Amino acid sequence: MIATPGARRDRWISVLVFLALAGLWQILSMVYTAEAQPGEPMVAGWQVLFTDTFLALSDYWPGGFGVPAVGDGAERSYLAALLSVLSHSIDTIGRLSLGLALGGGGGLLMGLAISWSRWSRRLFDWPLQFLRTLPLLAMVPLFQLWFGTSFFGEVLFVAYGIAVIVFAGTVNAVRNVPPIYLDNARSLGASRLMLYRTVILPAIFPALRSTILLSLGAGWSAVLGAEYLGAQSGLGYIIVYAQQFAYLDRMFFVALLFILYTSISYWAISRLFARLLAWAPPSQRR
Amino acid sequence: MTSAVRPEMRSAPRATLLSRLRTALAVLDPLRIAGVVLFIAVWQMLTLGLPPIILPTPLGVLQRVFSDFLSAPALSYYGVSEANLYGNLIYTAENVAMAVAVGSVIGVLAGLVSARFGLVRAVIDPVVMTAGTVPILVAAPFLLIWFGVGRASAVCLVIFYVVVILYVCAQRAATNLDPVYEDNARTLGATPRRMVRDILIPATVPEILGGLRIALAGAWGLEAIAELLGSQSGIGKVLEVLAGATDPQGIMATLLVLGLTAIVVDGLAAFAIARTAQWSAPAR
Repeated sequence: MIATPGARRDRWISVLVFLALAGLWQILSMVYTAEAQPGEPMVAGWQVLFTDTFLALSDYWPGGFGVPAVGDGAERSYLAALLSVLSHSIDTIGRLSLGLALGGGGGLLMGLAISWSRWSRRLFDWPLQFLRTLPLLAMVPLFQLWFGTSFFGEVLFVAYGIAVIVFAGTVNAVRNVPPIYLDNARSLGASRLMLYRTVILPAIFPALRSTILLSLGAGWSAVLGAEYLGAQSGLGYIIVYAQQFAYLDRMFFVALLFILYTSISYWAISRLFARLLAWAPPSQRR
Repeated sequence: MTSAVRPEMRSAPRATLLSRLRTALAVLDPLRIAGVVLFIAVWQMLTLGLPPIILPTPLGVLQRVFSDFLSAPALSYYGVSEANLYGNLIYTAENVAMAVAVGSVIGVLAGLVSARFGLVRAVIDPVVMTAGTVPILVAAPFLLIWFGVGRASAVCLVIFYVVVILYVCAQRAATNLDPVYEDNARTLGATPRRMVRDILIPATVPEILGGLRIALAGAWGLEAIAELLGSQSGIGKVLEVLAGATDPQGIMATLLVLGLTAIVVDGLAAFAIARTAQWSAPAR
């Protein structure tokens, strides 16, 4: 990004806005001291979040690396809390990445296959549209029935959520390839396979950018949904258990982690696409 | 009126009737219908090899929809206040309508204002962009504890996401508007009020309505999941209860009802939008 004076000013303002929000939260925690249960503030101030709350997260450390679990009688410690946060984050991110790879690849391949001809596209149009309308998270119970609470089932759920979006995005993008490109290549004698490799794939790539960003959001949602209902690890698991005992401060801590992770993932994917799309005309890059 | 004019007058409505018939036929594309039949056939084939507890038959699910729609006494044993799909669907639809109405007003106003005042934009943008990425399952527990289990939490949750979508849409619509229109009006001496009324609103309404359609489509799922986490009635509550009772047939029937409702409402919205924003191409 080019740092024009306006952009630099905006960046300062957004930093200030976040600082102001953090300050507001602190003031709220001091003014509104109601407790969800004894010793558990409804609005936890930062001094609580980074000491007691963080320490409490060591409850979710299953033990290992020479750091015993709190469940086995050990004291809460910052090291166990850190390990706990890291291991549960890695579990969640692992599920998400596997689901992204599986769903993204599968959705793309299926989308390309169905775009093979106008006939196949029409044949699959309505079932596809219907699957897209079904609310993803409301399907968690169904996946749980099918696959139980296995790791495979969780990944598959994420993959399904992503595949549906990528699939629809691919079909749409292929349909929007200007016919003149295709006619041109065809008149020069390109076979259907060559057409795919040299014309269609590069042409749909810019359009897939927004599809991928959309599916990333769905993926974060889906991985939480999968963990919400029965997983034994991951950030969703922590939220579920914290919610049962109304540990609002732990929920808030995990929510902050989530905001951090989602922001980083969006930023990383945008940067990756900006780099990969350096060749595309600016109107398609956005 | 001479007879020479009459055929022309007659032919105009006949042409529209014909073209309407043609579009209706185009919607009922035999190949698309064949696709649905194929989909159901594959489903039926799969049920032959799998036990009904895993995958119920399509016919069973359809029968379940008809039998549960008006009366499903089993639901009342599990504590759903409405013992049928119809009542729960109405409850969900009311919440969706309320949330979309309130959320779109807030989102559109904020989006339009932010597009014209840089400082406002610089303040709201980072908050909305960050908040918009928070998955609903992270946000929902807070609202459920703060506002309690009930209609308010679910509606607030959906409002939040509707605001994000419409804020982005309205802002983009106003930002992408070619400045030449407003410059021209200003040169001709338009007051700020007239600029908003005659240029900003007509130019942005089509894109905003498109955003409204996206928000409406997503709202069903969000509302259902909010109800699934904590509510006394609604489609989401029904899903939660049926999941607890290990009833895939019921779950699929409920999902089918929800999906079909969303499709019908989306179709109606598309029709209404095409009608309202006839002056603009992107609305179609």
